[in-house]
Amino acid sequence: MGARAQGPLKWAELTRILTARNLKIRYKGSVLGFFWSLLTPALTILMYAVFAHILKFNKGQPHYLQFLVSGIIVWGFTAGCLNDSLFSIAGNANLVKKVFFPRAILPLSTALANGVNFLLTFVPLALYLALTGTLAWGPGLLWLLPAFAFHLALCTGIALLVGTLNVFFRDTQHVVGIGQLAWFFLTPVFYFPQMQLEAAGFLGAWRGLVFLNPMTGVLALYRRALMGAAEQPLVPPAFAADVPAWWVGVSCAMCLAVLAIGVAALRRGDRTFGDAL
Amino acid sequence: MNEDPATTIRDDDWAIDVSHVTKRFRLQGASRSLKTAALDLLRGRAAQTFTALDDVSLRVRRGETVGIVGANGAGKSTLLSIIAGTLRATSGTARTRGSVSSLLELGAGFHPDLTGRENVMLYGAIMGIPRETMRRRFDEIVDFAGLEEFIDQPVRFYSSGMYVRLGFSVAVQVDPDVLLVDEVLAVGDADFQRKCLGKMDEFRARGKSLLLISHDIHTVRRVADRVAYLARGRMLDVGDPLLVSEAYMKDSVLEADAALAKHEWGNEEAKFERAVVVDPATGEEREGVVECAGRSVRFRLRWRASRRLPDPVVGFSIADRLSGRNVFGSNTQIAGVRVPDLDGEGGLELELDLSRLHAGEYLVSFSMHSADHKTNYHRLEHALRLKVVNDLWFDGLVSLPVEWTV
Repeated sequence: MGARAQGPLKWAELTRILTARNLKIRYKGSVLGFFWSLLTPALTILMYAVFAHILKFNKGQPHYLQFLVSGIIVWGFTAGCLNDSLFSIAGNANLVKKVFFPRAILPLSTALANGVNFLLTFVPLALYLALTGTLAWGPGLLWLLPAFAFHLALCTGIALLVGTLNVFFRDTQHVVGIGQLAWFFLTPVFYFPQMQLEAAGFLGAWRGLVFLNPMTGVLALYRRALMGAAEQPLVPPAFAADVPAWWVGVSCAMCLAVLAIGVAALRRGDRTFGDAL
Repeated sequence: MNEDPATTIRDDDWAIDVSHVTKRFRLQGASRSLKTAALDLLRGRAAQTFTALDDVSLRVRRGETVGIVGANGAGKSTLLSIIAGTLRATSGTARTRGSVSSLLELGAGFHPDLTGRENVMLYGAIMGIPRETMRRRFDEIVDFAGLEEFIDQPVRFYSSGMYVRLGFSVAVQVDPDVLLVDEVLAVGDADFQRKCLGKMDEFRARGKSLLLISHDIHTVRRVADRVAYLARGRMLDVGDPLLVSEAYMKDSVLEADAALAKHEWGNEEAKFERAVVVDPATGEEREGVVECAGRSVRFRLRWRASRRLPDPVVGFSIADRLSGRNVFGSNTQIAGVRVPDLDGEGGLELELDLSRLHAGEYLVSFSMHSADHKTNYHRLEHALRLKVVNDLWFDGLVSLPVEWTV
């Protein structure tokens, strides 16, 4: 008998290979290959910088551009996962129908591939922030670790949920398309967190509930890490009375909740994937 | 013939254990929309179902090869999918012991954009084989598939034959305890099929179990220790390969008779007007189903040509009705007999020695074509059905002369 890896180890190797496969396929046939992962965000930042300069839409807001592109790139991970995971299971019908392995590996590897890609896009972002003197050097950068951990949990949960739903209800892709846009506007990507809290004024002392949107807190963590507490505190100081910083923890809890929902959805669907595909 | 698998195999000796498996499919189309799902909920209506497998049980021993036969839609592939774990039984259980490798349809889940090499590694990972082990076996896999030059090409550039060869090669080389094969060998060329059969023998010799679906009854008979016969989702019979596959073929012949029925084609510049068996004693002509108890049979052909057709070739073939396989065929060109140019009416007779043929039913076809085989004037497919009666006892269709030396 050939040596056979057992248990989770066995599936770790498959996860690794499928993640690598997802990354490879993304740039299959392109000349620059994975350099696009660096080039795309770099060019994106350049675009925003050029047009922000021409249109002067950042007038009067210090470091608005840095604030914006960090939000755009962080959001890119979430959006990429949403889109790719639609067909993480449905698009691998040939595998799912013919070979047995834990189906969760498919959406998981989609999330991981997007995660790896995201880490690559982080390079030009960090470079840009450093060059413009807005990168907050120091131990504060450690905030990136929980930021990425919760973000990855969220994205994995999304991938599991969306990947499963789209096998059974092909409407999912349309819902995801429009839902993604709504979610984008509900998240302070291009507007400042205090604007979100102002808009949530009708909630009064409960305006911290905007952190029920997991991306609100995740984005706050990233910006706190990259640009420092002085410039990007976890919660805008103007609302510190109503919204203490621990509200960010609500977002983190929501990330884990989405992950749990995703796992539950996949387990529920697992019995009938073969029939539905 | 009908054995109860539960009593014939000791409890600890099975590799595959299928117990009272029933599989129902929902008949609403694969992906429902939110609307229909919501409507179903509101109306409390159960979806229509189709029973693909109905209370099927089967046990495969360790080291045993079992073939599954049955018509299209009998549930063969569904059964294999349930054993492989890609489908779940509606009720009943399907268990396997040891590692399972499945070759269900072409390519076994290859990704078209990945190279042959990447797909091999991916498949190994799916089977839970460590990377180093796969690397060591890699050359053997490529060698067996005969794909050295193409292994670093994306598999979407592969021909279907190459696809299957790589698929089979990797499925076998991951060295599973149980191999499931679904009708894939038909695609490879003769040489590769021979290699596969050899591999299956080797597999068996090492005490591994094999479950295979094939429409090619000869392959099944060649490799299987037992044959299971599925029809419309039910397990009709499990047992001796010859007996069970014979039963299957008898049934399928009844259904396929319409397809096997007499039909004809050609440009009809010359056309058979009569194709009959002549009784040598009485001179009586017989058509349709003809019983042949004697040593030989005499055919009489009459034709009419609409214009002069020089140098024609007249041929015949005789096929086993159960399998549809040709037993023998020849023509005047091969025999070195010159047929006069076709012009108006004409004909010939031929006598065929049947003394070596196994008793059974055979279908006889006739054809008329140009010497270069490019123009087919007329072909009468299955023009006659011969019932050969004799008391020869041997395996196969043709009795070859044998001399034993002890």
